[in-house]
Amino acid sequence: MSTGTYLQPASVDEALTLLAEHGGAALVAGGTDLVVGTRQGKRTLPETLVAIHRLPGLDGIAEDGGTLAIGALATHDAIERSELVRSRWTALADASAIVGSPATRHVGTLGGNLANASPAMETGAPLAVFGAEVELRSSSGARSVAVADLWAGPGRTTAAPGEMITSVRVPAPADGSGSAYVRLEYRRSMEIAVVGAAALVTLGGDGAVADARVALTAVAPTIVRSSAAEQALRGSRPTDDAIAAAAAAVHDAASPISDVRGSDAYRKAMVEVIARRAIGIAARRAAGEAVPVPATMTVGGTR
Amino acid sequence: MSHACTLNVNGMSYPLQLDAGRTLLTVLRGELGLTGAKEGCDDSECGACMVLVDGRPVNSCSYLALQADGREITTVEGLAKNGELHPLQAAFLDEGGVQCGFCTPGMLISAEALLRQNPKPSEDEVRLALGGNLCRCTGYQKIAKAVLAAAQGATA
Amino acid sequence: MATAAQTKFIRPDGKDKVTGLGRYTADLTMTGMLHACFRYADHAHARIRSIDTAKARALPGVFCILTQDDVPDVRYGPFVEDRTLFARDVVRYEGEVVAGVAATTPEIAREAAALIEVDYEPLPVVSDVEAALAEGATLVHDGWSGYSASDEVVRDGNDASRSTIVKGDVDAALAAADAVVKERYVADMSHAVPIEPHAALAQWQGDKVTVWSSTQVPYIARSGVATTLQIPESHVRIIVPHLGGGFGGKCEFHYEAHVAALARATGRPVRLVFSRSEEFIAPDHRREGQVIELETGVMKDGTLVARRGRLILDNGAYSADAPFFPQLAAMHAVGPYRIPNVSVDASLAYTNTTPSGSVRAPTAPQACWAVEQHMDSVAAAIGMDPVELRRRNILKEGDTTATNQVLEPIGAAETLERAVELIGYGKDLPEDEAIGVGCGWWPSFGGPSGAFVKLNGDGSGTIITGAQECGTGAVMALPILVAEELGMRPEDFSILAQDTDAGGWDAGASGSQTTFNNGRAVIEAAREVRAQLLELAEEELEASREDIELVEGTARVKGSPTKSVPITKLAETAQGDRLLLGKGSGSPPPSPEVDASGCTGRLGLETFAAPTFITHAVRVRVDRETGVCRVLEVAASHDCGVILNPVGAEGQVEGGVVMGIGMAMLEGSIVGEDGRQRNPHLLDYKLQTAADAPPISIAFVDAPSPYGGPKGSKGTGEPPCVPTPGAVGNAIAQVTGARVHRLPMTPERVWAASHGVDA
Repeated sequence: MSTGTYLQPASVDEALTLLAEHGGAALVAGGTDLVVGTRQGKRTLPETLVAIHRLPGLDGIAEDGGTLAIGALATHDAIERSELVRSRWTALADASAIVGSPATRHVGTLGGNLANASPAMETGAPLAVFGAEVELRSSSGARSVAVADLWAGPGRTTAAPGEMITSVRVPAPADGSGSAYVRLEYRRSMEIAVVGAAALVTLGGDGAVADARVALTAVAPTIVRSSAAEQALRGSRPTDDAIAAAAAAVHDAASPISDVRGSDAYRKAMVEVIARRAIGIAARRAAGEAVPVPATMTVGGTR
Repeated sequence: MSHACTLNVNGMSYPLQLDAGRTLLTVLRGELGLTGAKEGCDDSECGACMVLVDGRPVNSCSYLALQADGREITTVEGLAKNGELHPLQAAFLDEGGVQCGFCTPGMLISAEALLRQNPKPSEDEVRLALGGNLCRCTGYQKIAKAVLAAAQGATA
Repeated sequence: MATAAQTKFIRPDGKDKVTGLGRYTADLTMTGMLHACFRYADHAHARIRSIDTAKARALPGVFCILTQDDVPDVRYGPFVEDRTLFARDVVRYEGEVVAGVAATTPEIAREAAALIEVDYEPLPVVSDVEAALAEGATLVHDGWSGYSASDEVVRDGNDASRSTIVKGDVDAALAAADAVVKERYVADMSHAVPIEPHAALAQWQGDKVTVWSSTQVPYIARSGVATTLQIPESHVRIIVPHLGGGFGGKCEFHYEAHVAALARATGRPVRLVFSRSEEFIAPDHRREGQVIELETGVMKDGTLVARRGRLILDNGAYSADAPFFPQLAAMHAVGPYRIPNVSVDASLAYTNTTPSGSVRAPTAPQACWAVEQHMDSVAAAIGMDPVELRRRNILKEGDTTATNQVLEPIGAAETLERAVELIGYGKDLPEDEAIGVGCGWWPSFGGPSGAFVKLNGDGSGTIITGAQECGTGAVMALPILVAEELGMRPEDFSILAQDTDAGGWDAGASGSQTTFNNGRAVIEAAREVRAQLLELAEEELEASREDIELVEGTARVKGSPTKSVPITKLAETAQGDRLLLGKGSGSPPPSPEVDASGCTGRLGLETFAAPTFITHAVRVRVDRETGVCRVLEVAASHDCGVILNPVGAEGQVEGGVVMGIGMAMLEGSIVGEDGRQRNPHLLDYKLQTAADAPPISIAFVDAPSPYGGPKGSKGTGEPPCVPTPGAVGNAIAQVTGARVHRLPMTPERVWAASHGVDA
C-alpha cells in the first residue's frame, strides 16, 4: 500500500487550499474506513492524502443558541460520552455508542462517518430525524446542506471536489421530545446495522404526538425518512397499537437488498420491528422515562 | 514520496522516513522491530494489532503511521517496566488468560485503555471494552477474570 | 473429584506471550528475505488452457514465479493422492494455488501474482453435496479411479469415502416402534479461524531446508515437503515458533513445500504470510457442511429401538484427512446412546469448494447438533421430558455400542446429571428463555509419540519432545507429569519442542492427543531418569534403591528424612561422566475389541477408545420478533478421565463452549452457486466476542479409563465444542416452538422457522 503525498495542514483554511490545489486528494481523519477499504482491496489509496485529524477546533461538542454544534473531528466515543448529547439528542448518543468496537469509536469521527456515506452508518438516521445541517467548506466559500441532501448513494455524497465537512449543526428538538436509535445486530460488539431506525417523538401537552420523525438505516441506497410512519404518528396517542401501526407504515421508504447479512424479506420484516422499538423508546423518553443509552442494548436480542 | 516523522514508542523516539500509505502496524513490526502487535485480519475486526496512541486504543492495522507522528504510542512491549510485569500481564498469567497468545497483546492494550478510563469496571464493562479483540482459545472467561483481578489489585 | 496435579501452574511460555516478545512465524525475518504470494484459481472449476507469466516476471523486484511445471509431478494426500502442489490442468476450487511468486516486498509479490495471465475454460461447478452424488453429476475428479488411495477407503466417483454402521434389523424395529420420528438437517461449512493466519518461512543451506511454519503437525509437514519435492526427510527440518492457535485449521501439510520451492529457486529465504481472506479460502482444513437425515423408533417408555441415518458430508475439492469423516460422523449419528438396531450410511462428496479437514472434533458438532435436536423431537413425540429420554438411553458401563464395543466404566450419565443440576434444569424462567441440553461423545486417539528427559548439571531439567503446542497448554503441562515422577517442581523444567530435528516423532497438536500420548512418553522418559538418579543416590546415601524416594527436590531414605541428598547435587555429581537422560515412547494403550463386521469403510473409528462423554446445558434467550438469540449461561460437564492440569482443562472447555456457541448461531460460510465464499472476512463471519460469551460453570466427572492416557486421562481439547450447538438448538426450539433445521441457526433462520417463512 504505497501512496504519493501526505499533507498535514495546520488550519482548516490551509486544508481547503490543499484540497483545491490537489484534485483527487482525499481527506483522512480517523482512517477507519479509508485504510480498511484499501487493505481489503476495495479501493486504492488516493495519490494525495490531506490529514486533518490534528486540525484544532474541529472536535467540539457544544450548544450554540439551542443548536448542537459538533465538529467534524468529534469521535464517536466523545459524542457517546457527552452529557449534552445524551440529554437532548439521545438518539445520536445511542448510535455513537454502538459504532464498531471501542477502538473504532476512539478513532472514528462523525465527519468521516458522514462522508463515507454508507447506507448502514449508525449516526445517519439520528441526524436525519433531528434535521441536522452539514457545513461544507471549500477554498471558495461555505455552504450548509440538510444531512439528507448530503448522501447521493452508497459511498457517494453531494459534496463537491474541494469541499470538506467541517461541522454538523443539529437543531434542538422541541420541549417534550424524546429520541432513540435502535439497530438490528447479531452480537454485542463489532457490529454494523443489518437494519436500523431512529425516531424523534414530540409529545404535546395533551399527551398526543405533536410531531414525529422516523429514519431508516440499511434498507435503501442511503439513510431514508419514512413520511408514512411520521404521518401515522402525528396526532396519535403513543399507545403500543399506534406505534405498531406507524412502524407498519415504514415500508413506504424501505427497499432493502439481499446480502450476506440478511435477505430482503428478512430486512423488510425487521425494519418494521426495529422502527417500532425505536419509536417506542423515543416516546418513553419523550414522556420523561430514562431509558439507558445505548437503546439497542435495552431492547434487542443481544440485550 | 517519503515523509519525515518521529514516532515515540514506549518512551523511545524513532526518526523515520515513511511512505504515506504505510500503516502504523507495518512500521512498528518492520522498521521498529516491535512484533508484539499482530496482524490477524484485514478489516479491523480482530484487535490483535491494538496499540495505544495518546492513551487511546487504536487498531494500528488501519491507522496511517504518519498520523501518529509525534504522539505517544504504547505497544504491549511497553507495558512491563524495569523488568517488572504490568499488573495486567501478571494477572493474565495468574488467571490462565493466555493460551496461544496471539490475541494477548491486543487484549492487554484494550484492558489497559479501559482501566485508565475506568479503574473499577464491572464484568460487563470489561467484556464490552474487550469486544473488539477476538480470542479463539479461551472463551474469554479467564481473560475477563484477569482484568477484574488486575483492577482489584490496583486499588487494594 | 481427585485430580493428579492440583498445584497452580503458570505456563512456561506465558511470560513470552504477555510481554509481546515471543515470536510467531510472521514475526521472523531473515537477511535477504523475499516475500511470497500466490495466484489463486479465481474459478471454482475450470480447465487451464495456458499460464503466461511474462508480464509478472518483468515486474522489477520479482525473483521467480513457479507453477506445477517447476516442481516434481507428485500427487499427494493422506488417504487419497488426489492433489498437486500447484494446479495441474484443472482448478477445482477458488483458493487452489495456480502459481507462486517470490519478490522483494509483499506488495510487489501481490502485484506480480495479479499480472500472471491464466486462460481458463470454465467447467460446470459442483457446489451441492446431494447434486454431487446424483446420477450423471459432473465429476470433480474425472481421473478419480486412477488415484492411489488407502485400501480401506471406499470410493466411487464423487463419493470420496463411504462408511456404514449396521447392527440388528432397523426395518423391523421401526415397524414395531410406538413412535417414529424422521427429520432432515443441513449444516453449512464453517472454519477453524485461529487468530494467527498461516505463515511459513523457508531457508536452504546446501541441500537441506529449514521451514519455520505455523503448523500444528510439524512431522507431517516434514513428510509433505519431502514427498512433494522428492528429497529425503532428513533434508527437511520443520521448526514451529509460537503457534497462534490452530483448532485443526493448521493440521496437515499446507504450504511449507511451496515456500521451500520458492526459496530453492531464488537462493533466498522466502516468507509467506496469509491475509485473513486467504485464511478462509485457501487452506484445506475447513469444517465440512453436512446433510443429515435421521429416523428413530422409540417406545412409549422412552426406550430407543432403532436409528436409521443417511449423511452426506462435503469433502470439498480435495481429500485432505476427511476420508475418515464418514465413519466418525456415522458414530455421532448414533450418539452416546444404547440403540439396538442401527443402520447409518455416510458419504463424503467431492464439490468445487475449499477442501474439508479436521477442525476441532471433526464432524461432531454438526452431526451432534442434528442428533441432539432429533432427540428432543423424539421425546416430544412420546410426550417425555427430553432429559428423561436421555437419562433412559445414555450409555453406561457394560453397554454395547452400535459397533459392539463393550464399554468400560464411564461417566456419561453423571455428566447429564451434573449439567442439569448445575444449570437448574426445570427452574422458572422468563417466557423468552429456555434451557436446552445436549449430550455427545468423542474418542481418544492413542498413537506413537516420543520424548527425552534430561537433567542438567545445575539440577534443572529439559524435556525434549516431538509434541506440538498450539496454545492448549498440553505441551506446557508436560513438566507437571515429569516433575511428579522425579520429585521436582514443574518450574524446574524447560521444554525444547516444535523442532523435528530435536524431538521424536509425534502426530502433532491434533486429535486431543498430546497429553494422552506424549504424556505417556515423558513419564516413561522420566522413569528412566528416576532409575539413574536412584542409582546415584544409592551410592550417596548408602541405601538400597527400594528404600529411597524422590521428594521435594531430594532423594531421601524413606522414613528417615534427614538421610537425604538434593537432586541438584546428584546432577552435579553426574555431570561429566554420566548422562542423566531418559527416552520414552511407550506403547499406546490397547484398543477395546469390537465386532464391526457389519460395517463398511472402516478406518479405525468403529472403536471409540477411551471415550469422552459430555453434557452441555445452555440457557438461551430468544428475541422472537427478530430471531436474535443470546446464550446467557452454560453448564458443562465432562467425563474426560482424570484431569491432569485443571487450569488447562477449564481453558479447553471454556474455549470450546464459546466456539460451539459461535457455530450454533453465527459461524457459517455462505457459498454461492459459483462455489465461491461470500463472507471470507471477520465482519461477516462472526465469532463470538467477549461481550457475547456467557458465564460457564464446569463439572468434571472422574472416570479413569483403562484404555486411557497417563493416570487414566482422556483427550480434553476437542470434546468441549461437540454438544453446544445441539443444546442451543434445543433451547431455541423450546422458546419458539419451531425447530431450526439449518446450521448456523442465524437470526434470520430462527425468525423464518418460527414465522413459517422459507429461508
